[in-house]
Amino acid sequence: MLRLSLKMTLARKGRLFLTSLAIILGTGFLAGTFIFSDTLNSTFDRLFSDVFKDVDAYVRSSSFVEAEFGGEQRGSAPITALETVLAVPGVQAAAPDVQGYARIIGKDGKPIGADNGPPTFGGIASASAAGLWTIEEGRLPVGPTEMVMDKATADNGKFALGDTVRINAQMGSREFAMVGIANYGDVSSPGGATFALFDQPTASEFLLKPGFVDAFLVQGDGTVSDERLASAINAALMPGDKLETITGAQITKETQDQIGVVLGFLTLFLTAFAFIALGIGCFVIYNVFSITTAQRLRENALLRAIGANKRQVVIAMMVEALIIGLLGSALGFLSGIGLSRGLSSMLNAFGIEIPTKGLTIHPNRIATTIIVGTIVTVLSAILPALRAGRVPPLAALRDTALENVGSVKRRVTIGVVAMLLGVGAIAATAAGATNILLGIGVLLVFAGVLIIGPGIAKPVALGLGRPIEKLRGVTGAMARQNAARNPKRTARTAAPVLIGVALVTAMTVFAASVRSEVRTAIGDQFKGDYIVSSANRQFGGLAPSLAPELAALPGVAQATGLGFTSVNLDGSGKFVFVIDPATASGLITFDMVQGNQSELSANGILVNDSRAASKGWTIGSTIEVAMVDGTKKTVAVEGTFASSGFGGSYVVNRALFEGTLNNLFDTNIYIRLADGANNDQVYNALTAATTDKGLGTLQSRDEFIDAESGQINQILGLIYGLLGLSIIIAIVGIVITLLLSVFERRREIGLLRAIGMTRSQVRTTVRWESVITSMFGAIVGVVLGVAMGFVLILILADSGASAFSLPIAGTLWILVLSFIVGVLAAVYPARRATKVDIMQSIATT
Amino acid sequence: MNNPSATFPPPVASSDSAAARATNVSKIYGHDDSEVRALDDVTIQFEKGHFTAIMGPSGSGKSTLMHCMAGLDSLTNGSVAINGIELSGLSDRELTKLRRDQIGFVFQAFNLIPTLNSKENIVLPLSLGGQKGDDAWIDKIIDTIGLRDRLTHRPSELSGGQQQRVAVARALASKPAIIFADEPTGNLDSKTGHEVLNFMRKAVSDLGQTIVMVTHDAANASYADRIVFLKDGKIAGEMIAPTQDRVLDYLKHLGE
Ligand SMILES: Nc1ncnc2c1ncn2[C@@H]1O[C@H](COP(=O)(O)OP(=O)(O)OP(=O)(O)O)[C@@H](O)[C@H]1O
Ligand SMILES: [Mg+2]
Repeated sequence: MLRLSLKMTLARKGRLFLTSLAIILGTGFLAGTFIFSDTLNSTFDRLFSDVFKDVDAYVRSSSFVEAEFGGEQRGSAPITALETVLAVPGVQAAAPDVQGYARIIGKDGKPIGADNGPPTFGGIASASAAGLWTIEEGRLPVGPTEMVMDKATADNGKFALGDTVRINAQMGSREFAMVGIANYGDVSSPGGATFALFDQPTASEFLLKPGFVDAFLVQGDGTVSDERLASAINAALMPGDKLETITGAQITKETQDQIGVVLGFLTLFLTAFAFIALGIGCFVIYNVFSITTAQRLRENALLRAIGANKRQVVIAMMVEALIIGLLGSALGFLSGIGLSRGLSSMLNAFGIEIPTKGLTIHPNRIATTIIVGTIVTVLSAILPALRAGRVPPLAALRDTALENVGSVKRRVTIGVVAMLLGVGAIAATAAGATNILLGIGVLLVFAGVLIIGPGIAKPVALGLGRPIEKLRGVTGAMARQNAARNPKRTARTAAPVLIGVALVTAMTVFAASVRSEVRTAIGDQFKGDYIVSSANRQFGGLAPSLAPELAALPGVAQATGLGFTSVNLDGSGKFVFVIDPATASGLITFDMVQGNQSELSANGILVNDSRAASKGWTIGSTIEVAMVDGTKKTVAVEGTFASSGFGGSYVVNRALFEGTLNNLFDTNIYIRLADGANNDQVYNALTAATTDKGLGTLQSRDEFIDAESGQINQILGLIYGLLGLSIIIAIVGIVITLLLSVFERRREIGLLRAIGMTRSQVRTTVRWESVITSMFGAIVGVVLGVAMGFVLILILADSGASAFSLPIAGTLWILVLSFIVGVLAAVYPARRATKVDIMQSIATT
Repeated sequence: MNNPSATFPPPVASSDSAAARATNVSKIYGHDDSEVRALDDVTIQFEKGHFTAIMGPSGSGKSTLMHCMAGLDSLTNGSVAINGIELSGLSDRELTKLRRDQIGFVFQAFNLIPTLNSKENIVLPLSLGGQKGDDAWIDKIIDTIGLRDRLTHRPSELSGGQQQRVAVARALASKPAIIFADEPTGNLDSKTGHEVLNFMRKAVSDLGQTIVMVTHDAANASYADRIVFLKDGKIAGEMIAPTQDRVLDYLKHLGE
């Protein structure tokens, strides 16, 4: 029997290929995600082991603040500790290190590097053997007006020794003479980052704070192990400096882990979409097995008649599924290699620039892909196989494969119950239950819709087909009937389209709502005329000196900066908004519930009202705040504000950081012009002070609101792109079903051709059947998607249902695209249908 | 047994009255060793307004002749004309249009589109041509097949005989120059078979249609005006105004 199964599987090459295709695509995305994230991880791992290759011990501040979303911000080290470190026995050399924000302005006046791209660093070039940099050309920088650039950036930016280079950093925008070009170990620049290097006093003053650095890199003399060296240094450090020493291996590991957390988010995001694609692939596989089982009624009945028992028929089908699963997922892994490249160029296209080097393929990933793919295939084949086993030996020999839809009423009842349970679960989430319940709820709703599907496929297909029949006459009528004749098949074919469209619609609805909410929020909060903004949210930004500088320009009435920083607040790392209450009033307006924004004192804090309520804070409550350098302060709640749409929950006064080593960049500077000022003149002056120096982006209020509310579009585009593969699988699903249907109906097609149907009429019939099927999926999907989008808004938006806005144009586009999908999917099957041999189909009786 | 010879029109040999004509037609399947000469230099003509039966042993080329004459299959040699139109040199499109407008078909089984009801199946060739058709004519056909109360039924809801009558009605709908029926009663019991044959006879006698039918049954053949006998791809003989006994006689003679 096993031999026979094998033989029968291999005899049907077409069917084998079609079924495999669904698995190849489904597992391909999964494998692509695996390979992509592995490659990404190993690229960064290699990068950091290169960076710290010659570092034996690493001395840094012992105080830090955990930032939200992984990572940490660490305090600074006083340069005076260098002497202490150098004096420790076993230390050969030690070099101070700074990794600050420094943006090199290119010869065209534009900053080098992308805002969301690899970091732009400022650092120290020193003569010490422990330093990371070696001078390739020229000499080391000395004094406050000299700098050295990394070789890759110098080459890319066409900089030469002696050039004057403008650099923006925390302390402002300055010009330096370029006196050297440096190499980083053996590489010209690690990971696509740019580096501007100074002598230590200049780096500390310009990038950080005079007298402080980020860390010391220590090289041992080889007499003691790295661990010994580290603990010897630790013992020698002054307790007041709040420093700690770790080994080179530890700092390498730590950095790798930190980046790993960030990459982990990305990988998780991608994996979610890979599983969506695989799930949709499952549907296609299940559909193909169901159809072929129905078509093999005779083959199986014959097997039963000649003595095969039920079990053997089922086993034969499962063996086929196993072969296809193994084959498909093995090929899927291969296609995943190509897809991983596609993923990285897609992320690049959406501004997430990620350096990947080479290709990392873990053998266990191959195994995982093949196992997952095979299991999924075999699971998808179980139901159809059991159905095949139930074929009676003397099964009526039917002309076409028909699958009976059981009781429609029962189906609809079960489906509706599932949906209601799902809605209940979602409602519970909205009322504050765990998010797992949300996932279960969404799955239940989907399951309910898919269970109901076959029950409503017939009337819906007939309804959708009516205009087509009006339009195309008899070919339309036949397409309509063909789409309705096998409701189970139509529903299963439409299911992947349904799921894909529902997700796309939900995202579109959600994004549209977020966009409109952000618009209102920004509109309410910011009332000036112009804004200078920097896209760097976590690393660097606009120098704090810029806001007062702009305020002093003639024609400018008011300018105030808005910053972002991480502090340890009430025990955990939190982002806080930093404002200057004295200059902010009228420009940055939080929607105060209690208290007065302009009266925010140096030791006060404003808290989001719902956050305050959940924490039990009222006006006058005190909160512990610890900063990056270890400074601890107590702040008092001086006001509460309603949610802003930005998501920020805390606002503090810039003065709170006075005297600390906390980096304080502004993300945005808001500007109001004086009454009667000449708009053009002031605009030119602002341009000269900002964008002409490569500082931020200057926008009018309207432009800024457009840009901010449009940011969601970038994410939306990425999600569309990732869902794209699921949509492709859905299209392939339609193609496969149509091909199988055409194969099954070749006699009918032959008859039609014999009595005078032209080839183009045959094509028309197949095309419209395809369109009806895809539109069935699309329309149900849109309805479901809008509902899901609404629920998402309800759960996530602070202002609740009022934030919901329905993107009419977007929804119509989805329907138009689904129509096109139907037409495209039919192209090949329709061609095959026109090739049906009339004589052969007449002959097969 | 019905004897149709009463309404039997005299045979006319003029080429003007030919609904279909085959001239020196040969059809060879396969190559070399496996070569099968299904038709061997056949020349034959089917007159308008006549009901012709084709008989012959299994494998004698009856179906092949019908397919070749209907433009469904290509010829190895010779030429075929329907209603004076030479088939060779027609494009696939023109040939399809010819089949739709000038030729009717009835096969042994599987004649109807399962998703369409009787009425829709009957007018299918007209609908495919985007034509409205002659309502009076369609009405007349429907009355003749006697299935007016079954018009909205799907094929699966009809008996085999009813299905074949619908098929014949479909073949008649576009008033074709000729109808080819390949063992139209082959799957039916003899009573139902005679229903269908009666209807075909009426279509020729009362409605003036032209039908060529393949059959193995002498009783069935006796409904025809003329019988053409095929053997080994060649015309072995002819009989005008056949009766069941004469046919059986002839077949016995042919077998020797
Ligand atoms: N597609 C084909 N390929 C090869 N040989 C064929 C093909 N179709 C028919 N033949 C052969 O041509 C010959 C005539 O076949 P045809 O079907 O015309 O016979 P028939 O008279 O209709 O027989 P029956 O009464 O059994 O239907 C037979 O020998 C048959 O084997
Ligand atoms: Mg035959």
